Amino acid sequence: MASRVLQLILPVALAVVAGSCGGSSVADDTLAKIKRDGVLRWGADIQGGAPYIYEDPENDGKIKGFEVALADALAAELGVKAEFVQNDWSALVPSLERETFDIAMNGLEVTPARSGRVLFTRPYYVFASRLMARRDNKEITADLNALKGKRVGTLTNSFTADQLLAIGIEPIYYEGVEEPYQDLVSGRIDAVFHDDIIAGRYGEPKPELRVVGDFADGFYAIATRKEDLALEEAVDSALENVIQSGKMEEILRAEGIWNERQIGLRAWSDDDQRRLLGDAHVAPSLRWHHIVMFLEAAAITLAISVLAMALAIPLGLGLAVARLYGGWLVAKLAEAYVELYRGTPVLLQLYVLYYGLAPIIKLNAFTAAVLGLGMNYAAYEAEVYRAGIQAVPRGQMEAALSLGMPTPLALRRIVLPQGFRLALPSVTNDFIALLKDSSLVSVITVVELTKRMTITAVDVRSWLIPGALCAFLYFVMSYPLSLYARRLEARLARS
Amino acid sequence: MIEVQGLEKKYGDRTVIGGVSVSFTRGQVVCLIGPSGGGKSTLLRCLNGLESFDGGTITVGGEKLVPGGPRVNARALAAIRCRVGMVFQTWNLFAHRSAIGNIIEAPVHVKKVPIAEATERAHSLLKKVGLGHRADAYPSEMSGGEQQRVAIARALAMDPEALLLDEPTSALDPERVGEVLDVLRALAEGGLTMLIVTHEMRFAKEVSDRVLVLHGGNVIEDGPPSEVLDRPQHERTRAFLGLSRAPREAAGTP
Repeated sequence: MASRVLQLILPVALAVVAGSCGGSSVADDTLAKIKRDGVLRWGADIQGGAPYIYEDPENDGKIKGFEVALADALAAELGVKAEFVQNDWSALVPSLERETFDIAMNGLEVTPARSGRVLFTRPYYVFASRLMARRDNKEITADLNALKGKRVGTLTNSFTADQLLAIGIEPIYYEGVEEPYQDLVSGRIDAVFHDDIIAGRYGEPKPELRVVGDFADGFYAIATRKEDLALEEAVDSALENVIQSGKMEEILRAEGIWNERQIGLRAWSDDDQRRLLGDAHVAPSLRWHHIVMFLEAAAITLAISVLAMALAIPLGLGLAVARLYGGWLVAKLAEAYVELYRGTPVLLQLYVLYYGLAPIIKLNAFTAAVLGLGMNYAAYEAEVYRAGIQAVPRGQMEAALSLGMPTPLALRRIVLPQGFRLALPSVTNDFIALLKDSSLVSVITVVELTKRMTITAVDVRSWLIPGALCAFLYFVMSYPLSLYARRLEARLARS
Repeated sequence: MIEVQGLEKKYGDRTVIGGVSVSFTRGQVVCLIGPSGGGKSTLLRCLNGLESFDGGTITVGGEKLVPGGPRVNARALAAIRCRVGMVFQTWNLFAHRSAIGNIIEAPVHVKKVPIAEATERAHSLLKKVGLGHRADAYPSEMSGGEQQRVAIARALAMDPEALLLDEPTSALDPERVGEVLDVLRALAEGGLTMLIVTHEMRFAKEVSDRVLVLHGGNVIEDGPPSEVLDRPQHERTRAFLGLSRAPREAAGTP
């Protein structure tokens, strides 16, 4: 929960820090520092997997991949050693800006949004945007405009996502590379639009799928901070050497991703680079339609939270009663449920529910989000109610029994209402926590408030306004609830 | 109407009731007295199954309880609890219900009496215990004496054949004791069967037909109050009552 809050605040804080120490006071020092330390720190996300960067299956604790090999080659050109820094892919640019590492190199596509924020070297890889569909679905043709109204999966803030958005298609956002193809096979989505490297690795091996066609070329390039002009120049010429010497071809062949498109990069001119970065137009400012999308996302956050809590409360109550009054077996089962759901990350539970169970039951993302969060929170509610019920004096139950009430009736009419009242402050607290935990469901393609903030922040190239807006909306949703709960408690305290 | 045969109850190694046999007839008001830990309250609680026991049997109005707790005795307990009411030392009013709500709860939900009828009855019971004006008060808004009187009305609302009262005045402020005893006195005059665990000796002498003295889990004295309280036979009883001299001499002092 704390980490969620942090995730919310951090970008804002970072933006403030980045803003205040902007300018070029540290300009050109990074290259000198690299030379002095003898280390080039490069940021990437190992979760991106093969062929970019992944754990070497034959060599424990070692990493592998064409970007790992390229980092080593570049470092060698600069006369230093490469050091890998793990970083969440979607936060590579902000982390680069706050100097977590010197360069970012992890399938970073040159997009207008990014080239306004960082410096890009010449590209080290050309990829095609590849559209894939199910073999048996003939409706999908090699025409992006014909995809309107279809469910098309892609990666958040990617070049392919930008292409879809440019023609008015709101894609289904995935955070992993395997999941969209899995959902395409299972029929949750109609098509996947992704880099050909990823399509070749994760989509094409699936016999149910076919390649519909390749579209605009995209380029991976290495990013440096805006003020690190000297470093950018040094890395750029190191990269040129690696490409010209044939070392690059060797590296790409080792991962099986060499193709003829790459030959074009050998004769990369300054004009080419200018053309590539040329469309780095001014960042769009936050507009009315962004606000509308934020409000829609807030509505989704609220709907998921309310429905999940509506599931968690009765389920938790049932579990608490089962633990306290059920027979041995029932009590043990309830206890096992509580321990299992409390003892494992909710993120994992969402994955299992949405992707893991897909072959058995194909829940839509929204339903899976509500069920996943609801079932997880039920475990916490169960413990809160159990404590509440146990805090009801024993005499209440005895009085009810002595009046001839059977135990279930005594529970329902006398003990549970009082136990629930005692638990109310914790239930409110849990609901507010749930409101923010609901941001986790973005991993199963639900675009809720935090996800919308991330998408917009990259789009408008600032975390400050979207972050503040997002925080404000969460607060607006949770604060009235706190007030209402306080009033409810006061009213119940009277009786 | 209540028959106890060889009742035994243990907590681990400690014997709380050691083979008590006693019977109570309809219309009797019986006071159970004796030192703390003597087994009075436990005996009372066994009678309506709030405590399980380890040996013997209890028969209430033809329904028989055996050792083994509520699971074994479920059917008999359901019947007994509808016929025998209980009043607790700490009254145990339902904290989330008003006075009237407390009283109608069981008639409406156990006996399925229509709410209007149960409410009307509850109002007259409240008047009977002198609280006609407190119908809508919540337990937290009432004094201990008021709460205990509501608790008595609540028990009476089920039309019990007998009332078990477990130290009904012990937790009250001294100035509140009288109002509760007044209610009990009126009930005794009305002919209700009552078993009262109490430390109010004067009250016991005044209202009871019979007094039982329990000590160490056994009945050591059983008879009319004039005999038990004025001329106790057992040394322990004399000690408990603070009568150090021989009973005949003690009787002579005011």
